[in-house]
Amino acid sequence: MRPTDALLGSYRPGTSPWHRVGVGWKYLAVLVLTLPALFVQEPWVTASALALTVGCLLLTGLPARVTLALSWGLLVLLAVLAAFQVLIGQPALAFVVPGNVLLAVLAARLIIVTTRPAVLIDALVSAADRVPFVDGERFGLSVGVMLRSIPYLMGAFYDVRDAARARGLERHWIARLTPVVVRAVGFAQATGDALAARGLGERSSDR
Amino acid sequence: MIALHGVTVAVPALTPPGTKTLLDGVSIDLAEHRIALIGANGSGKSTLLRLLNGLIVPTQGRVDVEGHDTRRDAAAVRRLVGFTFTDPLSQLVLPTPLDDVELSLRSRVRDREARQAQARAWLARYGLADVAERSIYDLSGGERQLAALVSVLAVQPSVLVCDEPTTLLDLRNRNLVAQVLADLPHQVIIATHDLELAAQSERVIVIDAGRVVADGDPETAIAAYRALLA
Repeated sequence: MRPTDALLGSYRPGTSPWHRVGVGWKYLAVLVLTLPALFVQEPWVTASALALTVGCLLLTGLPARVTLALSWGLLVLLAVLAAFQVLIGQPALAFVVPGNVLLAVLAARLIIVTTRPAVLIDALVSAADRVPFVDGERFGLSVGVMLRSIPYLMGAFYDVRDAARARGLERHWIARLTPVVVRAVGFAQATGDALAARGLGERSSDR
Repeated sequence: MIALHGVTVAVPALTPPGTKTLLDGVSIDLAEHRIALIGANGSGKSTLLRLLNGLIVPTQGRVDVEGHDTRRDAAAVRRLVGFTFTDPLSQLVLPTPLDDVELSLRSRVRDREARQAQARAWLARYGLADVAERSIYDLSGGERQLAALVSVLAVQPSVLVCDEPTTLLDLRNRNLVAQVLADLPHQVIIATHDLELAAQSERVIVIDAGRVVADGDPETAIAAYRALLA
């Protein structure tokens, strides 16, 4: 897995049942996998949901290094969440809270690695169009652009980290974060221009 | 035809007098099939190109694209004028060429199967069928630039505007993109530092400090540009 895809992954073509099933069923499956753990907040429920989700990811037929890879950033976040629960005197939640975050990431990955973004956007547009006062096209496009932006921003983070290392500034957080923020703003501007140049994202009434 | 009438573009600046003029009273008609804009960095080439698609509007003056004022009728102008950016990674907003071309087709083709078939056909036409579902990060520079170009062509504009289309490419990919641009039936307007590419145009316009300082056949205009920078 590319480091830039290490959070939610990206679509990988395949012929597994997960690739062939309709995207609506995938959303339903993700809800079934995640909601009980989020509501019940018991270690055994979280552990069971995680095991089921990992099983589903293995059924995609994609390499485990693609579907189950966890970035250092995510592992640190999970560790911080666990430590925080211990510190506030809720050791029982030290597994549940980070476990549920991991569950949400893996479940989202189940949809993203098996569904082409165009299909994902179609499904979102179709659902959002039923909501009053919501422009489904713009909503779907926003989510699509957001999914594309995550690997770009992670790539920017790794580039800037390497550049900082090359100058001996690896411990200098301002040198590492400022260029990422600047790049993020530049990327947002460029993406907006790219969409506008193709007439995408305009209100339906303008088209 | 595209016409610029007394176009000035000024932006706020931190230093006195508080504004910076990027283009200064430019009036030109752009009717030729192949037009190249050349000029030093910061001369105003990209600003002029962005006016043509309505991405920016003049501070003073007017830009007409086939009778549409870019200020008042931006949506119609964007349907007529396609725009490719220097860096295709800024332009490709979805993860694969197939998804991105499908995105361009969304407003015209509602049926998903038909849209995907058309997107594949567009990519195949430019030799990108084999990489249609590959991540844009795994494409070569030339493939990326072509994918960005196809995404714009799928909107079926009548004019294509390209901002430095060969700048980031090696020689092989540069030649590939140049050949594709040369073969297009569209009116093509490019801004470039690639004087060999500019020389293939019918007309070359030299921009310096926001003004048109030479305009004519490639040989004469490129000679004027060389003299300007000597």
